[in-house]
Amino acid sequence: MLEIKNLHVSVHGKEILKGIDLNIRAGEVHAIMGPNGSGKSTLSYVLSGREGYEVTEGSIRFKGRDLTELNVDERAATGIFLAFQYPIEIPGVTTMTFLKTALNAQRKARGEEELDAVRFLKLVREKAKPLNVPDEMLKRALNVGFSGGEKKRAEILQMALLEPALAVLDETDSGLDIDALKTVAEGVNALRSPERAMLVITHYQRLLDYIVPDAVHVLSGGRIVRSGGKELAHELEKSGYAAYDADAA
Amino acid sequence: MNDKTAQSFAEAYDRERPALPGADGWLARRRDAALKSFVEAGLPHRRIEEWKYTDLRQALEKAAFAPARAHEGAVVLPDTAAASAFAAIDRHVVVFVNGRYRADLSKAVRLPKGVELHSLADVLHEQWAKDLVERRFDDARQSEDIVDLNTALMRDGLALRIRKGVRLDKPLHLLFLAADDGASHTRNLILLEECAEATIFESHIGAGVAFADIVTDIALGDDARLAHVKLQDEAAGTVHLATLRSRLAAKSHLSSFTLTLGCGVSRTQSFVLFAGEGAEAHVNGAYALKATQHADQFCVIDHAVPGCTSHTLFKGVLDGASEGVFQGKVIVRPHAQKTDGRQMTHALLLSRDAAMNAKPELEIYADDVQCAHGSTVGELSRDAIFFLRSRGIPEAEARQLLVSAFLDEALDFVPHDAAREALKLLAAGWFADGEGRA
Repeated sequence: MLEIKNLHVSVHGKEILKGIDLNIRAGEVHAIMGPNGSGKSTLSYVLSGREGYEVTEGSIRFKGRDLTELNVDERAATGIFLAFQYPIEIPGVTTMTFLKTALNAQRKARGEEELDAVRFLKLVREKAKPLNVPDEMLKRALNVGFSGGEKKRAEILQMALLEPALAVLDETDSGLDIDALKTVAEGVNALRSPERAMLVITHYQRLLDYIVPDAVHVLSGGRIVRSGGKELAHELEKSGYAAYDADAA
Repeated sequence: MNDKTAQSFAEAYDRERPALPGADGWLARRRDAALKSFVEAGLPHRRIEEWKYTDLRQALEKAAFAPARAHEGAVVLPDTAAASAFAAIDRHVVVFVNGRYRADLSKAVRLPKGVELHSLADVLHEQWAKDLVERRFDDARQSEDIVDLNTALMRDGLALRIRKGVRLDKPLHLLFLAADDGASHTRNLILLEECAEATIFESHIGAGVAFADIVTDIALGDDARLAHVKLQDEAAGTVHLATLRSRLAAKSHLSSFTLTLGCGVSRTQSFVLFAGEGAEAHVNGAYALKATQHADQFCVIDHAVPGCTSHTLFKGVLDGASEGVFQGKVIVRPHAQKTDGRQMTHALLLSRDAAMNAKPELEIYADDVQCAHGSTVGELSRDAIFFLRSRGIPEAEARQLLVSAFLDEALDFVPHDAAREALKLLAAGWFADGEGRA
């Protein structure tokens, strides 16, 4: 589903990713771990198409298409979803309005019929319930005054509603206590399916106790320096990233 | 003085004088005196502090505005969303074309007993009208001087008096249409007696290259309530100068909202004088500008007595090379304890060539008060746009969503449910039709 080959990415002329190779098939969950500054967030932004992240070499193919030819919203409509480490506050736009606008924009881009208010409301309630997102929260401006846990639950609700083919979760565990982490992880796990791939980016192994990956990659100095199974995460938890930092330098 | 434009208004006055209403009474003398003061002062220029950001003299020099003639032939409303913004609301309608009342186009029938609706000329012999016309608000003299021009040349307008305890049954919509080029000087007089209530909509539209000079004098009796919603969407060549002067008696309530979308140069002045305790004034507005439009919101709230509440919020979106101005002053007199005065202005710049000047001021001479003021100027958050796009919302739609949300925070204060929705739709449309990308 996602094929990344020899990917080099620069930000403001500085090379951050220095030749990444990564293949993720439908149904798989891959974890990217690495120390601060290793390029984890850069990878998530370049997949989502954020401005200022320049692909200087290599390729990204998603469902067989060259992803770099699509802009941010086109990528979303094609099925890429980025769960933000720090979800952005949107004053004055209620969560409900935002969700409806986003879903219908994607449906429109794919040539599907837009949902009317009634069908949308039914759908959003159905998706919100297991995530413990009450109607009251949907009526508030998106992320404004939300707690850390509410923000992340809102992110997972967006994912549940938009049903992406590839979900990229950028440090979804940051700012969460253990109960909130469990709720969010359950939400994510409920979305695992044979048709959907996930890329879970995290600094800590903790999240991977709840979202168990099929593969773990260690990113350091802009390269994947080691890949393995889920046990690699536990190994890193014990040994830390020091060894990989040295390699990168 | 060397103000040719002021001189041309003086010449117009000499020509028009015999035909202006009230030529035989107190008003004739008042007009002469007003013209004399106006000519002596000249049109305001930018060296006058209260006109620092708006050069009215230059704006009026550009197009020598002779008095607008009575419109001949059929009247056609412009085919714009603004022209029909209030159309779906059950309301009385009073229409002015080129500054003249048009009975044939107006529809205000079966008014409740105690609602006296006239055109200006009909009430000039009455004391209440005289009182309103002669009243001054001395705390903003520099801005009020320009009212002299209106007093000298005023031709027509709405005169509304609502008797004690009477409630106007539905909104009264004043539609001012500039069908042709030229200057129109309109004076509206509104008196709500004790416990009277009314909702008034005002819309200013037209294709003419016009100078719309409107002064609205309002007096609210004890416990009276007035909701006022104004929409301005005149042609790009038009200069719009509107002055709202309100005197509020005890426990009265004024809620005024202005949406400014049109005009090359506009200045909206609001003066509120609290004359009785426990009164409340909300003076709010929003504006969306593009190209080289210039809109100035000027507002003075005088807490002359204790225990009154005022709230002012203006929000604007500026695109192209447009310019926005907010100047506001809240005055709290020495004995006006327990005043609650708030004044905020926020502007969003959508282009690098747009500019905003904001000058909120507080003058507080009492110690037991709650007052706040603030001003921000910013641009659309790139992070927010990226976030919305990452959810599949195309860039133009994302920007529109953020702009509408920004303006809606002010539009939430429109003091009438259906009018609020109508103005929100208009504001959203301003961006959606691409004009916001000028």
